[in-house]
Amino acid sequence: MGQGMEVSPIVILFAAIFTSNMVLANFLGMCSFISVSNEYKTASGLGKAVTLVMVVTTVLNWLVYRWIVLPLGLEYLRFIIFIVVIAATVQIIEMVLDRYLPDLYIKLGIFLPLITVNCAILGISLFMVIRDYGFFQTLFFGIGSGLGWWLAISALAAIREKIAKNKLPYGLEGPAISFIITGIIALAFIGFSGIFIIQ
Amino acid sequence: MKGYTYTIVFTFLISAILTTVLAVANQYYQPKIQRNEEVAFKRAVLYVLDITPETEDQVETVFAQSIRAHSVDGAEVYVREGQDGQIQGYAVLMYGSGVWGSIQGYLGVSADRRVLLGIEFIAHSETPGLGGRIDESTYKEQFRGVPLLDRPISDGDVDGITGATGTSNAVLRIVNNTIDQLLPKLEVGL
Amino acid sequence: MINNIREAFFRNLWTENQVVRQILGICSILAVTNLMVNTLVMGLGLMFVISLSSLTISALRNYIPHRVRMIVQTFIIASYVILVDIFLKANYPELSRALGPYIGLIITNCIIMGRAEAFAQKNTPFISMLDGLFAGLGYTIVLMMISFVRELLGFGSIFGVNVNFLQLDTWTIMVMPPAAFFIIGVMIWVATALSTPKQTSQPAVQALSRGQQALANQQVKAGN
Repeated sequence: MGQGMEVSPIVILFAAIFTSNMVLANFLGMCSFISVSNEYKTASGLGKAVTLVMVVTTVLNWLVYRWIVLPLGLEYLRFIIFIVVIAATVQIIEMVLDRYLPDLYIKLGIFLPLITVNCAILGISLFMVIRDYGFFQTLFFGIGSGLGWWLAISALAAIREKIAKNKLPYGLEGPAISFIITGIIALAFIGFSGIFIIQ
Repeated sequence: MKGYTYTIVFTFLISAILTTVLAVANQYYQPKIQRNEEVAFKRAVLYVLDITPETEDQVETVFAQSIRAHSVDGAEVYVREGQDGQIQGYAVLMYGSGVWGSIQGYLGVSADRRVLLGIEFIAHSETPGLGGRIDESTYKEQFRGVPLLDRPISDGDVDGITGATGTSNAVLRIVNNTIDQLLPKLEVGL
Repeated sequence: MINNIREAFFRNLWTENQVVRQILGICSILAVTNLMVNTLVMGLGLMFVISLSSLTISALRNYIPHRVRMIVQTFIIASYVILVDIFLKANYPELSRALGPYIGLIITNCIIMGRAEAFAQKNTPFISMLDGLFAGLGYTIVLMMISFVRELLGFGSIFGVNVNFLQLDTWTIMVMPPAAFFIIGVMIWVATALSTPKQTSQPAVQALSRGQQALANQQVKAGN
């Protein structure tokens, strides 16, 4: 009990991608979701970068929380600690990519500064604490949430590219129609809960 | 311009000040936070036994007056007793996995063990607006008075939550498991 | 001075409203807009954090070293958020439980950082505080409107008080996440249509996001 041992990591993975998607059900990472989704290529790049950062920071935050924050009784400072870990991780990932994987850096590097302020990243860490996940649950939760975010932004960007040339009523272009499309995607994703009935 | 040393000293100072303020605030409110948890637990036990006192003081008094805790096989069973010592119901902790993490709460059955008195959740991490709606009283109140003779309780007895099939099933499973474990213990007697 | 205050008020509440004009800071609150009480508490929390952090950052603006500016600002914002969290846990435990991790997410609300960067850095403390307060107010009003629609149609109640006298069927979809997207989309549409002059074909997409978008698109092209 308390450890949340019962929920299998695989279930968490699928739930995070489909039925309880970070953007579509939890509204996390909305800012960049709406503003960087007018081109499929860009959106997909950001999605990959978010997935990478999400997995790394969630696991790091889990380690920091278990080994430093809990033993020292600093739970009330967790917001600050998580943010610092995230900011530092993004910096380090940026430097490592630049040094060792320049090709990948060119593709993903530009998105990294945008990611520090993406609420989905902090959100995942906070959820992981509240849900009292173990290591593998956290790992799969990070992967699933990242993939889910990537899937959602790619879907939105692809639809926006398709409708880019269509004439819309005045005022509906841009953000307004993006939100409405997102709503329809969210509605469709709720349908997945009928498929993944968790026993 | 401002040098490297200044940057470090400034950052260090501001972190020290902010952390101190937060530590003081945390210390100051800690007793109150603990009391809140205590009251939330007592309120939940009373709720599943169909007593709904209003204020915190009432919760404390009613709990002290009418609830006795018995330890059965290492698990606490909370017994509601009337004025004359007559048993009116039993409450017990229930827990299990939801869609995201564990769901914890309490569950109450009537003295004759034929009827479910109520359920209440004290901790869960379901999605707000979807599975999180198990906290709504319209959902919880459906469990009051469900007969226990033809178990398991199914979605024929209580309506699930639209869009949250996983959570609804998880709650039914947790409730049924808890009852299955509880009833034999009560048969033996406390 | 009075003019400055009035200007800050109208700018934040209407002409540059953070939500419907600038599409900022939507993440942290939208999830709790299905009940008006939760929305109000989150809004008040945000107003508290944004006005005090603007005040603090503005008061320290000449002392904060430039290169660690962002992290110091984040620190200050996070501290106020933690205060709100502790306060709610101690005094309103049920609300605190209902809002769960969303309180912590106020930190990453782009509006707070946005006001700090765009306004508090360059202005005196008092007006910065008011600017933050009004930005928070404009935000809260928009979200209260969303939650009004969602709670009224989804539960038939307002602030938890049942107003569904005719016993009409409530709309489950309003309680679920997609409704929030539909309502906010329509609100942005209405706000854009009402105010921007017709000749500007591009609606008021916020500057930051446009910048982000252009930068990202451009670099992806350069990268290939």
